[in-house]
Formats: sequence, C-alpha cells, structure tokens
Amino acid sequence: MIELLPAIMAFGVALVSIIATWLAVQERDLLLATLFSALQSTCYALIYYLFMAPDIVLVYLPVSVGILPLITILLVKKTERYEE
Amino acid sequence: MKLSDIIVGIAMALLAIMLSYLMVYGGLGPIASYNIRPLAVAFLNNTYNPWQKIYSALSPEAVTAIVWDYRGLDTYFETSVLFIAIVGLLALFRGANIVQGISSKGLSIIVKTSTKIIVPLILVAGASLAFHGHLSPGGGFQGGSFMTVATALLAVAFSIEFLQQKRLSLNTLLAIRCIGLLAIIIVSVYLLINAVLLGGYAYIFQNMQRLLFSPNSLVAVGISQYSMPYWFLDRPLGGILFFFNLSESIAVIGGLTLGAVLLLLRENELKAVIGGEERE
Repeated sequence: MIELLPAIMAFGVALVSIIATWLAVQERDLLLATLFSALQSTCYALIYYLFMAPDIVLVYLPVSVGILPLITILLVKKTERYEE
Repeated sequence: MKLSDIIVGIAMALLAIMLSYLMVYGGLGPIASYNIRPLAVAFLNNTYNPWQKIYSALSPEAVTAIVWDYRGLDTYFETSVLFIAIVGLLALFRGANIVQGISSKGLSIIVKTSTKIIVPLILVAGASLAFHGHLSPGGGFQGGSFMTVATALLAVAFSIEFLQQKRLSLNTLLAIRCIGLLAIIIVSVYLLINAVLLGGYAYIFQNMQRLLFSPNSLVAVGISQYSMPYWFLDRPLGGILFFFNLSESIAVIGGLTLGAVLLLLRENELKAVIGGEERE
C-alpha cells in the first residue's frame, strides 16, 4: 500500500485540478478565472514532483504561477474584466 | 447548475480515474518500455564517470548534463527562439519609453514592505538554483525565471519608474540579455579557439576531452585533449555546465524582465508613441 501512496496522491491532486480547470473555463470574471488556472498549475506542479521530475517542477512553478498570471492579469486590465 | 454540467464533470472525473487505474496497474504497458531503458542506463553510467572522461560530462546532475552537454546545440537554439520572441516584442513597442507618470507611486505601504522582505529571498533562491544547476535539480532557465518573478514583483509593487531609477531602463535590460547570449557563444567556442591558437583539434560545445573522428569514416583517430575546468576547490564544476547556467540565467532575467516591463507600460502613454498621428 505504501508504494501506491504517490500514485493515490497524484490521483487526488488530478481530481482537484479537473475541478479547477472546470471552474476556470466556466467563470465569467476573468480575474477569478486566472486564479483558478493558477490553482490548476499548482496541482500539476505537485503531480510532476510526485512523478519524480524536479527539474520540470522548478521550471513550471515560476512560469505558470508567476509569469503567466502576471501577463494574463495585465491583459485583463487592458481589456475587459467580465466576459459577455 | 445544469444537468449537462454535472454530466461533463462526472465524465472528466471518470477519465481521470480510468487513466490512473491504467497507469498504476500497467494497463498501457510499463511506463518506460524496456527497449529504451538502456539509454537511461548509459546516461546514468556516463554522466559522472571520472574513469572514462571521453564519454562523461563530470557533473552529478544528469538532466543538466543532457541539456547543456549531450544536446547543447538544441538548447542554444531554444534560447535563441526566446530571444527572437523578445525582439518581436521590441519591434512592436519600438520608440516606447518609461515616462514619469501619474501613478508612479506604486501600491500601498503594506504591499511595499512585504515585497521588500520577500524579494531578496526569491533572488537568493533563484541564484542558488542557477549556480548549483550542475549539482542539484535546477539550472539556468529555472534560476533566471525565479529571479524574473522577483523583478516583476518589484515593478508591480513599486511601479516601473522605480526600476528606471535603479538604472534598469529598457536599454539596460536589453544589454543584459545580449551580454548573456554573448557569454553563451563565447563559452561554446572557447575550446575551439584554444585549439586553433595552440594547435590540435576540438569541437564546438566541447566539455571534456572527446574522441576525434576522421571526417570521412566513423573511425576514432585520436583524442582531443582540451577540456574545461571540471573541479573547483573541493567539488565538481561540470566544465561548461556551470558557465552555461550562469550566462543563461543572466540572459533569461534580462529578457523576461524586459518583456514584463514592456507589457506593464501604461496605455495612454503608449498610444502617443505608437499610434502617432492618425493616418488615412
């Protein structure tokens, strides 16, 4: 059972990421959608870590949680916050 | 919530359950098939192998050794792709500059103080990732993007004029980027220039001593004796890996910060520069 623990944790995190993706697609408020997308990226980073790819985690964290939300929030600020 | 939403959600959850079941119990076959495992064995045997320097990168970290030594040219062109993207952004924003604007005071004092505390921590973490990229997971791009998060935080919390007051204008950032790329080029041809000046043969992107092949056949005719320094004080240096990680982190922090600052420019000031007078 103990050797299945990473797989079970990855499965639980994958479920959370599916919910976050669904919320991000459905959300009308684009700022909240960006936050949900960052939550999904965090889940993916944890999955990469559990599957023993620390290099990918280290490149995925700053890009997907730092730089991508920054650019998306700037885009939202320069256009419109609420989707029609 | 409509019925279709619930059905789609349940279907996606079922997909995740089925995929994890298949992966855990090997329904798709072993995750890495047995045919390609000798490749992994070869890399693990040769990455740090002081007894066979002609196949080795002399760095304990296999991923960095593959990225910057065994496939160094690929990584160089990846870096160039990022540079071309930055050049496209610059061409789009040509003539734009940081002007002292109305909202140049930045955010509130709480945000500023917490940013002051957290920025040095991020910078140190990124620098350690970049400088230890040949010893532990991490590397130039990872460390550079960590440090870019810190500078982007500074630009958001303190306003972009703060960066300009600290001598980090757009031209300086572009110069930092170009210095990093130039350092990569110099390191990659350093041994080649050495061989041309001192006699003998060497390859581009050469790290340790390598077998020399005759141009027309696949027969080894000798050994290129030139090699980068692979030992610093009491720990391995990984030859070119350390220098490549250093220059790549400099290039990435310059380029990505430049992109973030360009996107942070205020719209009404930009329109005056880019739009110019109304054509037509």
